[in-house]
Amino acid sequence: MVFIKNKKANILVENIIFIILNLIFLAILILFVVKQGSGAVVVEQSYAKQIALLIDSAKPGMLIKLNMEDAKELAEDNKFDFDKIVDITDNKVTVRVSEKGGYSYGFFNNVDVSVYPDANNDENYVVRIDNYN
Amino acid sequence: MEKLVSVYWFAILVLVAGGIFIMVYTFYHQPYDVRMVEARILSNNIADCVSQEGSLVVNLDSNLKKDFLTNCHLLLGDQDPEYYFEVNFYEFPNTINSVFEIIEGNKNYKADCEVQKKQGYENLPKCIEKRFYSVDNSGNQYLIKILSAVGKVKENAK
Repeated sequence: MVFIKNKKANILVENIIFIILNLIFLAILILFVVKQGSGAVVVEQSYAKQIALLIDSAKPGMLIKLNMEDAKELAEDNKFDFDKIVDITDNKVTVRVSEKGGYSYGFFNNVDVSVYPDANNDENYVVRIDNYN
Repeated sequence: MEKLVSVYWFAILVLVAGGIFIMVYTFYHQPYDVRMVEARILSNNIADCVSQEGSLVVNLDSNLKKDFLTNCHLLLGDQDPEYYFEVNFYEFPNTINSVFEIIEGNKNYKADCEVQKKQGYENLPKCIEKRFYSVDNSGNQYLIKILSAVGKVKENAK
């Protein structure tokens, strides 16, 4: 009787370990997928292209507010200043969430643009189209 | 303990993890291709520049060609531009031979657009054609065709 009881306990422990290991494996995979989706490269590229296309289709006098929550979170993780995330020089939008790297994308609309963080919402950025150059 | 250490189980784990890694890596390392959107915006900007509310706002003369980029506030880049467009004006009823043409940007893209019509290639510029009608001050009717192309292959295709 003692032998049978021990065997049952063994099977139970084995199965529990097996399930826990499976769960850990699944969790690691999900974490990997989520991490890749919110990675700096993806975020920088998507924001740079979004802003460039917004500028291309904008006209002087427009004020565009863009929610950059994802970029802000990444910048905070990398201890990078939110005010420096977006930069526009020579008709190129550059978005960076850390000191190294960054992604640039050009636009063809010859306008004078200024970008700065929104004073009313700390997750937003303001893109202001001033005049045609 | 047999289950935990079995080669079979380990192989399954490696296969699943490897498959997911390859899929995720391929998906997220493929750049977002925004060239069609960009080409459409370029077409719209040109259309707004030549015609507003159905009326032609430009005179079809040599000055229009000369200062087109400046007047339409377009900056295509001086050396090896990544954009190309051509605007053709057809006067009714002849919609085959254009009466006026404006061509700007990288002229090599024109041939690429012909190729793209037959079969879409990721590593060639993306092209879009827009057409609309407009009337000038004298009441002449025009069909305006705008072909715009955006290169930027490095930034948008792998």
